[in-house]
Amino acid sequence: VSLRTDSSLSGDGRPFRRLLVANRGEIAIRVIRACRELGISPVAVHSDVDADALHVRLADRSELLGAAAASESYLRIDAVIDAALRSGAEAVHPGYGFLSENAAFARAVEAAGLVFVGPPPSALEALGNKLAARRSAADAGVPIVPGTTVALEDDPAAVEAVGLPVMLKAAAGGGGRGMRRVDRIEDLPDAMAAARREAVAAFGDGTVYVERLVSPARHVEVQLLGDRHGGLAVLGERDCSVQRRHQKLVEESPSPAVDDATRDALFDSARRVARTVDFHNAATVEFLLDADGNHYFLEMNTRLQVEHGVTELVTGLDLVAWQIRVAAGERLPAEVLEAPRQGHAIEVRLYAEDPYDGFRPTAGAIGAWVVPDGPGVRVDAGIEADTPLRPEYDPLLAKLMVVADDRPAALARLRRALDETLIGGLQTDSGFLRWLVDDPAFAAGMYDTSFIGDQWGSGPPIGDEDAALAALAAAEARRLTAAARAATPPSATVSSAWGQRAREDGLRR
Amino acid sequence: VSDYEVTVDGTVRSPASGWRLVLDDVAHGVGRLTDGERSVPVVVEGNGSEWVVTLRGRRIPVTVRTWRERLIAEAETASRAQAGPVLVKATLPGLIVAVAVEVGAEVDEGTTLLTIEAMKMQNEVRAPRAGRIVEVSVASGQAVATGAPLVRIE
Repeated sequence: VSLRTDSSLSGDGRPFRRLLVANRGEIAIRVIRACRELGISPVAVHSDVDADALHVRLADRSELLGAAAASESYLRIDAVIDAALRSGAEAVHPGYGFLSENAAFARAVEAAGLVFVGPPPSALEALGNKLAARRSAADAGVPIVPGTTVALEDDPAAVEAVGLPVMLKAAAGGGGRGMRRVDRIEDLPDAMAAARREAVAAFGDGTVYVERLVSPARHVEVQLLGDRHGGLAVLGERDCSVQRRHQKLVEESPSPAVDDATRDALFDSARRVARTVDFHNAATVEFLLDADGNHYFLEMNTRLQVEHGVTELVTGLDLVAWQIRVAAGERLPAEVLEAPRQGHAIEVRLYAEDPYDGFRPTAGAIGAWVVPDGPGVRVDAGIEADTPLRPEYDPLLAKLMVVADDRPAALARLRRALDETLIGGLQTDSGFLRWLVDDPAFAAGMYDTSFIGDQWGSGPPIGDEDAALAALAAAEARRLTAAARAATPPSATVSSAWGQRAREDGLRR
Repeated sequence: VSDYEVTVDGTVRSPASGWRLVLDDVAHGVGRLTDGERSVPVVVEGNGSEWVVTLRGRRIPVTVRTWRERLIAEAETASRAQAGPVLVKATLPGLIVAVAVEVGAEVDEGTTLLTIEAMKMQNEVRAPRAGRIVEVSVASGQAVATGAPLVRIE
């Protein structure tokens, strides 16, 4: 491993003097904050529409990458490398998504004489191919979901041998794309074609493999942190079973479904998978857990996860800071390698999506933006009040996390925090989340990956009390604006009508 | 002004009695509903008759209409309900004070066809869909009863 000797090893105590954050939104802000606390000068990057974004304003400086489309800005390896060199950065943190698991990018960063804050390019490559990772895991003695370990051709016999129903998955997959469930063999050709099409569009690689459907199943993952000297910390599990479109909405640690024996087995499997590659930095090993407590390896994500904060809250560790420190060559101390876990943490993701309409993405601008605060509450947000949503990027608005002594206390805290959360302008999934914390099955920890489809559907009808309260609120609001309008010309928006009224009230005082 | 008709998600609702709206951030419509015992945080956005109330994370569309807006809306709904050739009928009794179209005219959806004065209010009758006027059954100054044929559009 070659390291720049003018960084932490030079002795001024800082891992790097300057670090480029190759991302946007809440994760860019998260990394910028870690940089500040480590005494590192953070450099942001932005597309032309993000020039005034929150992450740009929080950094010391920011470099323009290109046009709004991610393919012309945040996904451009050459532009990001140029930005890093231009700004004098010594290291690059990719965040999650975009270029974070791109081995060519990690290589380009190293070729430019910079440090990539993430696992080595060889690990990104080996684990990026889910099919190859599946073979390596099986070779290392880790249970995998029964299925094929070679690319699937249009071969009904191979699929029937696995046993229906099955999941088709993209070898280059991630984020739920290129995945198709097949219940009947006659549906295979169409499902294959759809999975291939989606995989080619998303990853440029249409290789598909097949796994037997595990149902009911929980999605449980193990957080890893490794240094460049062989130190490997296993920092507990997260249960991410509340999903829509195979994408996570809620994560918690510890998992209500994992007992000590299962946990030991999960941790052992996670270690084995990590040892199949030259590994350091942060990664997550994902498993399915069946109703009998058996676990099956799914994939290993060689980057910081969206839900890393859950682990930070139960371990007290700053994972992003440790990513940067191990990237600079530091050894993980005993406090990290044997970090105890305490309490219970839950994260919910606030998305611009309509849970009453199949979690369809919503568009527009955020109006009101009131986020919770107080003991045991953490909000990682990438937006603020009165901001238009950028349709080019991920609709994740913010992550709301809580931590408390145990799960019931964490749920009570989450309920309180969601009640303090007020978002205007567009529908978010917060209506679903608020329902979730009162759901008896969720409160009992009884949920699996089909929970949203089975228990929520399109949500309950509007209750009588809520309808009467909404009626009152709107009628009262109309009365207020009518009073304001009596004195002013008609205005296009309620804000200006009310603003006018507020000014008049001020004048009268 | 107290006799608004309030429709929540397609159903006419009585506003919760004993509750009031307190706005804390007027510009963003952020406030709370309170009955003196309990307080429910709320975001209220909109203008005129169309509002959205966010309650416990759910955006609830609410229509708040005066009696006059209600009559107009009902008239429009009634006319729109018919497909194919459309016969626009009077949805309220009144006096035709203006006829804005003549036979043969091409109209867009929403074009004002005529104006009916009822209870000293002028109500515009609009085209429920685009088409050609094939018949005008009334003239300015004529009194009409509810259901009287006014204009036929093809």
